[in-house]
Amino acid sequence: MTSVSPLEAGTPGQTGAYAAQAYQWLKQNLNDRLRTDRCLDQPASLEEKIRFEAAQHRAGLAGITWPKEYGGHGLTLREHLEANREIGRAPMPNAINSIGKELAGPIIMAVGNERQKSTYLPAILSMENIWCQGFSEPGAGSDLAALRTKAERTADGWRINGQKIWTSGASKSSRCMLLARTGAREDRHKGLVLFAVPMSSPGITVREIQSIDGDRSFCEVFFNDVIVDEAEMLGAPDEGWAAASRVLSIERATNRMYRAWRFESELDHLIAACRSDNAAFAIMKGYRRELAQCRVEVELIKGHVETLVDDLLAGQQIGPRGSFPKLYWSESHQRFAQIAYEIVSRFPPGANQALKDLRARMEGIYLSSRAETIYAGTTEIQLDIIAKRILNLKKAA
Amino acid sequence: MFDDLDPQEFEDTARTVIESCAQAPSAAERGKLLAEAGLLGVIAPEDVGGLGLSTRFAAPILRAAGEGCLAYPLIETLLLSKALADTDAELAARICSGETVATIAWLGTDAGADLGGAPMGCQAEHVLIFSADGTAVLAPIANAVRAVETHSFDIDVPEAEIHVSGAFKGVELDLATVEKLRSDARMLRAAFIHGAAANCLKMASDYAQDREQFGKLLSANQALRHRLSRDALVLETMRNAIIRAQSVRDDDVEMARNAAWLCSAQSGPAIAESAIQVFGGMGFTWEVPLHRHLRQMRAQARYGGAALELDQLGDAIIAGTANPWYAEIADAA
Ligand SMILES: Cc1cc2nc3c(=O)[nH]c(=O)nc-3n(C[C@H](O)[C@H](O)[C@H](O)COP(=O)(O)OP(=O)(O)OC[C@H]3O[C@@H](n4cnc5c(N)ncnc54)[C@H](O)[C@@H]3O)c2cc1C
Repeated sequence: MTSVSPLEAGTPGQTGAYAAQAYQWLKQNLNDRLRTDRCLDQPASLEEKIRFEAAQHRAGLAGITWPKEYGGHGLTLREHLEANREIGRAPMPNAINSIGKELAGPIIMAVGNERQKSTYLPAILSMENIWCQGFSEPGAGSDLAALRTKAERTADGWRINGQKIWTSGASKSSRCMLLARTGAREDRHKGLVLFAVPMSSPGITVREIQSIDGDRSFCEVFFNDVIVDEAEMLGAPDEGWAAASRVLSIERATNRMYRAWRFESELDHLIAACRSDNAAFAIMKGYRRELAQCRVEVELIKGHVETLVDDLLAGQQIGPRGSFPKLYWSESHQRFAQIAYEIVSRFPPGANQALKDLRARMEGIYLSSRAETIYAGTTEIQLDIIAKRILNLKKAA
Repeated sequence: MFDDLDPQEFEDTARTVIESCAQAPSAAERGKLLAEAGLLGVIAPEDVGGLGLSTRFAAPILRAAGEGCLAYPLIETLLLSKALADTDAELAARICSGETVATIAWLGTDAGADLGGAPMGCQAEHVLIFSADGTAVLAPIANAVRAVETHSFDIDVPEAEIHVSGAFKGVELDLATVEKLRSDARMLRAAFIHGAAANCLKMASDYAQDREQFGKLLSANQALRHRLSRDALVLETMRNAIIRAQSVRDDDVEMARNAAWLCSAQSGPAIAESAIQVFGGMGFTWEVPLHRHLRQMRAQARYGGAALELDQLGDAIIAGTANPWYAEIADAA
């Protein structure tokens, strides 16, 4: 991989300058094996993707808003958004360490102590430490406050027992942001504590689960008398719920800020590939209204994201409003995925390479999009949050 | 009054004035009230008596108008007072001051026999008639140009048909002015619908927290809570789209404006329909004003040609894209 000089940090530059540099870098470094719009026999390996992601950080495309003393670029959310537009437009693989960068990092910055910040944060950006998020359990999904995984204080440190599930990337991770409880299950959101658990700790077993898209990215994680050092506790015991809610609000509001542009790019790919063949073009024509609707919805996701960024830059709290963009992008992307699937499923046999690539990609998107209304809080849970915390709808007179 | 130019203040002022408009007996009276508060000339230049502000400042006024079911061709007045300023300053000033009521025939062109979709055409003295070539003429309603009351879906702002029976004269607007007028119209309509839809959602939420069935409030039922949450999502989507369309830069402006407009045109009526469902049998009554909002929003969608615009956008996007990442995929023909 070519080595690149980092983007100039600190200089505001003219509008779009950051985006232009981001595009140039991506153009040079996103090779065919890494591109998600190619269906090759030999796509990039995990190691190649990790190296690519580390290089992205050095080029100024990750850790954009993080302070320089923790390995970040010390810029604002505005540059973050600018870079993310380019990241979204490009057929790039999703980040391997998005949990580290988008959930663990912000939470460590908010509740971590100085030692934790200066050791964990740079290691996330350099890809030395990949993180996973150990919140969900078999008996505690939407009802996260029902979790059972237990943390007991002992002379050697905290002893953890329990099981997590749907833990994305656990088998590739070196750290887990674990939510466990110190008291009884009946305490609900009281007595919850957050840890940065080394995945190499004795007593941890990870089992990959195959998902409907054929991937093996999420896992079950078992904790059997795992001893975690006191120093790995993030924030205070009893602050766990507040910290977790914060993580989830971040996840809903700002995570993968590039989504609207990625979705637009997928639509662009669909249109470009269908134009490469007369029969496919004729099929696409029959969907012009649906495609126009998708294009409008892309703009509407941008509306959610950009006004959110403006509000954050103006110092406003997002809180439950993070549910709005989460709901909107997840459902509109699923609508697009269904239409795209329907279009590619009608391609005649013996299609050209562009159509083959497209079909493989859109089938994958269709399947993987089914998760979007489930993770980061299901649609029903977002609707509950809006009813209760935004509309303040009473349940009793 | 508008020294610090806070759009929010415009909304508060507008809300009060529009409330008093509901009591005023005629369009002319309502025009006077609106003009006195400085609301008719917000986007018209100062030399015709306007405030010379951007559509960003008109949006809150339209929102209040939508919320209050205003019975006045406000969108048309705002647009015409601005568009005419260069060619007929005197008429623009009269429209700004509420002295002259003017409207626009949104449907059809002078190439056809009849034109339609002119809000309050029968109360207006002038009507803008679009030409087939994309320009337009503001004609006095007299002699060759007649306004005829017609079946109207919107009962607050009755629609007129315009019959043209010979040659007519009037102030001519060029292609660029007409295009700008149409683009601004999208923003104003979106803001109007946003206000109307917000009021529908508010009425439905209030009602659900007032009425009991099965021994509990309607709002205690998840099915209704989720319905209202979905409507809140749509409303927020509309709001953000409008904000974005007013702040986004250069190339993206038209697409952003289109999206804000199409989103409002589709989702505004849906929020009213949903509110009618929440009200149950009450929702189907003439007294509950939800149907008035629904009618107004549907009329706006029709005047703005929302369904046709979606088709046109579809044609435009399948005609090609400019994403450099897919540039190497060659066209078949
Ligand atoms: C691809 C993917 C990756 C994930 N990655 C992670 C991760 O890295 N770390 C992690 O901790 N978790 C992760 N999750 C888990 C995710 O957060 C949970 O799946 C989610 O919160 C839902 O919980 P559940 O699966 O137990 O479903 P359940 O809570 O059992 O819900 C099942 C259905 O019932 C509905 N439902 C539940 N409660 C209510 C209610 N009160 N009212 C109405 N309907 C209700 C739900 O909306 C859903 O439709 C991931 C999930 C997926 C799909």
